Amino acid sequence: MLLLPKFDYEEPKSMREALATLSELKGNAKVIAGGTDLLVNMKKGTVKPTRLVSLKKIGGLRDIAREDAGLSIGSHVTISEIADSALVGSLFPVLARSASCLGSPLIRNRATIGGNIVTARPAADLPPALMVLGAEVQLKGKGKGRTVSLDSFFTGPGSSVMKAGEVLTRITVPPVPSFTGGDYIKLGHRAALEIAIVAVASRLTLDGPDGVIVDARIVLSSVAPTAVHALSAEKALTGQRPSEELFARAASIAATECSPITDLRGGADYRCDMVGILTKRTLLKAFHDASGMKEGGA
Amino acid sequence: MKAYNVINTRLPRVDARAKATGDARYAADLAMSNMLYGALLQSPLAHAKILNIDTTAAKKLPGVRDVVTAKEAGLVKYGVSPARYDEQVFCSEKVRYVGDEIAAVVAVDLETAMEAVSLIKVDYEELPVLLDIESAMREGAIAIHDDFPGNVGAEVHQEFGNFEEALKECDIVRTDRFVNKRQDGGFLEPQACLAHYDLNGNLTLWSSTQSVHYVQRSVSMVLGIPIGKVRVIKPYVGGGFGPKAAVNTIEIAACLMSKRTGRPVKMVFSREQVFLHSRARHQFFHELTTGVKKDGTIVALKNTCHLDGGAYSSFGIATIYYAGSLLGAPYKLPNMKYDGYRIYTNKPTCGAQRGHGGVAARAAWEQQLDIIAAELKMDPVEFRLKNIMKTGDVTCNDFNMSSLGMKECLEAVRDGSGWSRKKKKLPKGKGIGVACGFFVSGAGYPIYRSETFHSTATIRLTEDGGAVNLYTAAAEIGQGSDTILGQIAAEALGVSLDDVTVHSGDTDFGVDLGAYSSRQTLMSGHAAKAAAEDTKRQVLEALSEVLNVSPVDLDIAKGVVVFKKEKPDFSRLRTAYAKEHRGWKDIPSEGELTFREAARIAFLTRGVIIGNGAYKPGELGGKYKGAAVGTSPAYGCSAQVVEVTVDMETGKVTVDAMTDAHDCGFAINRTNVEGQMQGSLSMGLGEALFEEVKFDGKGRVLNASLGEYRIATALDMPNVRTIIVESDEPNGPFGAKEVGEGAIMPTIPAILNAIYDAVGVRINELPITSERLYAAMKEKQKK
Repeated sequence: MLLLPKFDYEEPKSMREALATLSELKGNAKVIAGGTDLLVNMKKGTVKPTRLVSLKKIGGLRDIAREDAGLSIGSHVTISEIADSALVGSLFPVLARSASCLGSPLIRNRATIGGNIVTARPAADLPPALMVLGAEVQLKGKGKGRTVSLDSFFTGPGSSVMKAGEVLTRITVPPVPSFTGGDYIKLGHRAALEIAIVAVASRLTLDGPDGVIVDARIVLSSVAPTAVHALSAEKALTGQRPSEELFARAASIAATECSPITDLRGGADYRCDMVGILTKRTLLKAFHDASGMKEGGA
Repeated sequence: MKAYNVINTRLPRVDARAKATGDARYAADLAMSNMLYGALLQSPLAHAKILNIDTTAAKKLPGVRDVVTAKEAGLVKYGVSPARYDEQVFCSEKVRYVGDEIAAVVAVDLETAMEAVSLIKVDYEELPVLLDIESAMREGAIAIHDDFPGNVGAEVHQEFGNFEEALKECDIVRTDRFVNKRQDGGFLEPQACLAHYDLNGNLTLWSSTQSVHYVQRSVSMVLGIPIGKVRVIKPYVGGGFGPKAAVNTIEIAACLMSKRTGRPVKMVFSREQVFLHSRARHQFFHELTTGVKKDGTIVALKNTCHLDGGAYSSFGIATIYYAGSLLGAPYKLPNMKYDGYRIYTNKPTCGAQRGHGGVAARAAWEQQLDIIAAELKMDPVEFRLKNIMKTGDVTCNDFNMSSLGMKECLEAVRDGSGWSRKKKKLPKGKGIGVACGFFVSGAGYPIYRSETFHSTATIRLTEDGGAVNLYTAAAEIGQGSDTILGQIAAEALGVSLDDVTVHSGDTDFGVDLGAYSSRQTLMSGHAAKAAAEDTKRQVLEALSEVLNVSPVDLDIAKGVVVFKKEKPDFSRLRTAYAKEHRGWKDIPSEGELTFREAARIAFLTRGVIIGNGAYKPGELGGKYKGAAVGTSPAYGCSAQVVEVTVDMETGKVTVDAMTDAHDCGFAINRTNVEGQMQGSLSMGLGEALFEEVKFDGKGRVLNASLGEYRIATALDMPNVRTIIVESDEPNGPFGAKEVGEGAIMPTIPAILNAIYDAVGVRINELPITSERLYAAMKEKQKK
């Protein structure tokens, strides 16, 4: 029987108080948000915090706000709120799509965007979409805060640049340039409660409705220790005129830029092949949306 | 058809309120004062000798009240089939799979019990681990059970007609192989129990079980407690599907430790322990050879099957027979040969699961029939219709199809799905497939050789006449039997379902073999109907004496007495009833004599009215060895059409639509019949596309959770069109027969056949993951 071990629990009223506790207890305290990952791991005994710190009494972590033409999302916003947000859906459909792929409707009601990032799972749904969008995360520690690009946030399965005592407070997504489109596709077995066999997020920016690609971003998930950019494929696209042949070429390059393992969910060869298929599909959709987009953003 | 008042309706389930509000209490919810908590020590090794067990440290841990091993539990062998009693409560000499039970602890709380388990020290001598049937059958392989060198735990050889002779007249002969994967039952409620051995030596066990009767017998036999002192009660149960149809270790261990400590003991399986206990669907390796004539007549079938049984026999002796006997029908097949082998391996034990023994065989054969239809250039529906059995036909293995709406089912799904518009006419990547199946309506014989009644029922009317109490040991496990039995009793007695309170799942209420082999509607239903008729007879006889009307001229319907001839003056009765109930607001005043008044008269003149019913099947066919598995008083049947979309680039299959027709004889509750059809399809879909228990090289289950063992979610289910076919079964109560298991039979092959229609690829190994289908499509492209 998996039993939840004994632990202390507190709900500080201010961030300063929370950070003080986290700093004092070093690695023995953990922030709990939705708990969908943390509580399971505590039952399994893979993490053993002596105290859980909930930030739910602290204001300013549960809102989705427009910031310039981009977004600023509090770390405690739930996945459902992101998936259902009209603002997210209109400005960053790729993020909304990735949110709607996570877990099940029940889990989406509990899990948070911050939790999906800080747990640093190689198959997490939101990071690939956030990475192609150029998102940054704001980290607060006892000293002064810092801002880290999500591209350089993850360091391995379950690990990131976050230090003990730091809290992820907000996620910022910069404005979308004109003639930009994106997509996120997750391949799993079931229609819900799936950890991806492979997932791919892509984004293309053109210099005009019929223009060349000025910016290409492809992030592969579940095929490496962290979500990774398919750098050579991105390079192969940049400066080129979009075509199905180009996308097919980029897709086959992307398929060589991953290092999947064979595990319960799928074989390494299949995963590589699927990286190619999903990359091609996300690029086609990204191009379709980018060329249909009007100047000046969505 | 006769008009009914309570049955053949869509009445809400009698447990709907309790379940919808969360009021229903399951075994894990139960608690008693002074209760202790138990935990099991299970083997970390798949095959090893036990050299020594040291419980000293565990016993010393504060809070621990008892530690038991084989020394305390004894060495009594038990199991499911008496011919293969091969289990002990705790291992004494060796362990045979990762999870084999070695010891149990009770303590004041679960944390302490689990800590104590970790303090038990076991010295092992590791033995070669046999994880698949090839290595288990290899010359010189170590015997997992000493009595079975070679590890063949059971084998079956049957031939009906003459297969080899018959092949000579065939124009097409095909041999195909097929393999499914080991399943988990996937029920939502893990097994749990609470045992209480009281000061008078009476043992009460509350348990999440499909059969209080079999558990009662096993506990009594293993622990040596007289059966009259053992009472087993089933609270609400969250699904079983087969694995809960026999006793489990925690039931016996909790009883043992309650007896030793004198305190109530509760034990609950974790989800991982559910996977280790298993007793779910075997892995079957089928090789089928089918011979047909040019005109499409199916003539002969040879079926060779190897079953990976795991460490013990459980229901496996029945499984191996079913893997042969559930082919043939629903087609007129004159020649059938079967060779089956069940192999012991060092893995958790397999047993019975929905569609017991027949699901993989059915998938294999219905796919092969589709291939043959294509070779014959016949439409798969036409090919099946040509060979189909009808009511009154008897199979070559002596199954009497006393009712069989197979043709009606097949035509219904053909027409209901738009088959002729779609077959071969859908765009590439989209496909449509069909399959048929049949299943028993209750095993014809108990699992132990006996003349016992399979079901008894008792009805006791309350002294005021206002309420009908039905007592049955039948097991409501979520499938709806309480509602069905209540409806049958209400209809037979002539009252409404609201008037009936169903008390079920308790050995004190009678004998019932339980919820397995799709038996309760037919068998428990017969007993409930007979009890209701007996009750009605007594009430009417009492009334006839008082009113001086012949009982044959009396009946009860819709809660009032029906006078078939002239209505007598019953005002004297009503006045007396009113006087007895002065001040009450609900004294009958309408023009009809109510059941309540009649039942009150019966009580006043005869005392408590108790009606009894009991059922066992009559003479069944088959005199050959193994005929006891598969012969049944009746057979349900079904046909399904499935439509799929295959993603040609990834291999991912989406089931778009399912059309299902099932002949349940007569629907007691139409909504419930449809619910069973939907549930079967969902389970079949999961088995076809997702499910597989996986092991590492040491015999440890790799995906013992519902996260990584994938049953279908609600979002995976397409809209299902359910069509109820009613053939009026002469051996069923009100003409009813099974729907609970038979409905799963066509699902997997219909999906397989639809995938072939979509992409031209045949898959001979389940589950049809996107990766497997992708590889098969790639292979086909190469050719």
